[in-house]
Amino acid sequence: MGVVLRNLQKVVPLRRARLRRDVDTLRHILGIQKFDLGIICVDNRRMQQINHIYRKKNSPTDVLSFPFYEDLRPGKLPCPLHRDELNLGDIFLGVEFVMKQCQEESLDLHGALTVVTAHGICHLLGYRHETEEEWTEMQQRENYILSEYSRLTGQHLEPLMKRCSQDR
Amino acid sequence: YTIMLKSVVRAVGAAARLSSASTSTVRALPLSYPALRAPSSATIRPFTRSLWMLNNNGASSGYRPKLFSSKVLSPSVSCGCGGLHTEGDKAFGDFLSDEIKEEKKIQKNKTLPKVSGGWELEMNGAEAKLTRNVSGDKVTVTFNINNSIPPNFEEEVEQGQQKSAEEEPEIVSTPNFVVEVTKQAAKHSLVFDCHFPEDEISHGEGEGEEESDIFAIREVSFQPEGDSEWKETSYTLNTDSLDWALYDHLMDFLADRGVDNTFADELMELSTAIEHQEYIKFLEDLQGFVKCN
Repeated sequence: MGVVLRNLQKVVPLRRARLRRDVDTLRHILGIQKFDLGIICVDNRRMQQINHIYRKKNSPTDVLSFPFYEDLRPGKLPCPLHRDELNLGDIFLGVEFVMKQCQEESLDLHGALTVVTAHGICHLLGYRHETEEEWTEMQQRENYILSEYSRLTGQHLEPLMKRCSQDR
Repeated sequence: YTIMLKSVVRAVGAAARLSSASTSTVRALPLSYPALRAPSSATIRPFTRSLWMLNNNGASSGYRPKLFSSKVLSPSVSCGCGGLHTEGDKAFGDFLSDEIKEEKKIQKNKTLPKVSGGWELEMNGAEAKLTRNVSGDKVTVTFNINNSIPPNFEEEVEQGQQKSAEEEPEIVSTPNFVVEVTKQAAKHSLVFDCHFPEDEISHGEGEGEEESDIFAIREVSFQPEGDSEWKETSYTLNTDSLDWALYDHLMDFLADRGVDNTFADELMELSTAIEHQEYIKFLEDLQGFVKCN
């Protein structure tokens, strides 16, 4: 298995191989290569629908994570007993939303998607940001991931400065 | 409905892969997944087609609805043309007149929708071919509208939603299609057999459920350029057990040549319009055949 990548939208021209490669680098940094992961790229319309259904927020957003394991201690990898539990969950990437942000801030789309995906994976690994303490812990983890990413690829990525999407 | 009979033949031979199933002049026809109409779950148009769906055995028995089988003993309409014209034929012809009128009324596009990206369209009956040049690469997309309408499943009913009489499911044609990419002065083309996965077609509002790409590549092979026979001896890559990174590169390759999700959506629109057009033409031909002029 590995990363199941789906592109359900036609608004943003995506490079699938590039996205997969970037996600694989993140998985390598976090040591989660043995786990399956779903990455689903959607447009604003679909993202708004999902956000509305699951968070009662009728607006699109950049990322929504659906963890397979719901009560992980932040950063503690699950120890599944069965092979079919080697799954971290699904991440919905709001590529249209992110594309618009990139256009406004002159950022590279795939770089931004990597940052957003890192954030999404942290959520799948139990990181939250309901409290200030949790927010700091998550931010530290993300900073570590992005600095490692920079070291491995030479690509310097800025973390998400705004409060996380799952707060919006 | 003769198309249903042909589906039976294809279904019987459907165990064969694309490469060995080619019985048409275009090797491009992927016959491995004919869209057999399951009558009980078929998309129902208001008129003619609903009659064909009344029968549960339609696909397997070659049943022709009793409504239209004439009692040959009934006196033929005197016409002097030499052909048989029964009362049933007359009723059939009148029925077809109404059908044609209604179908033309609901026809979405009187002219065929354009596919963006400068594609040229060539029609040959039920087969359509889109061609385009992308900086020296010739790209051809071929599809056949026969058996291109998948049955809709009764998901909405199960979820307890009531549909009003006007809200009948829209008929969408989602044909398998073959993309051929030919480099300049090359003897071989890289051929991609593509399809629209069933669960995506139904536009299920998948809330975390399994969702598929808008279109998918099923097989890839090098084949001789042009409309020559499918070369059985050419290795055919099946994507079922393919490395996903390789699959993504193949999808990116197609996207760079104009075959992306936008194209796939527009192809569906075009195919649906062509299918409707051909259906109306067929009704008109039927009308001409049974009527006595």
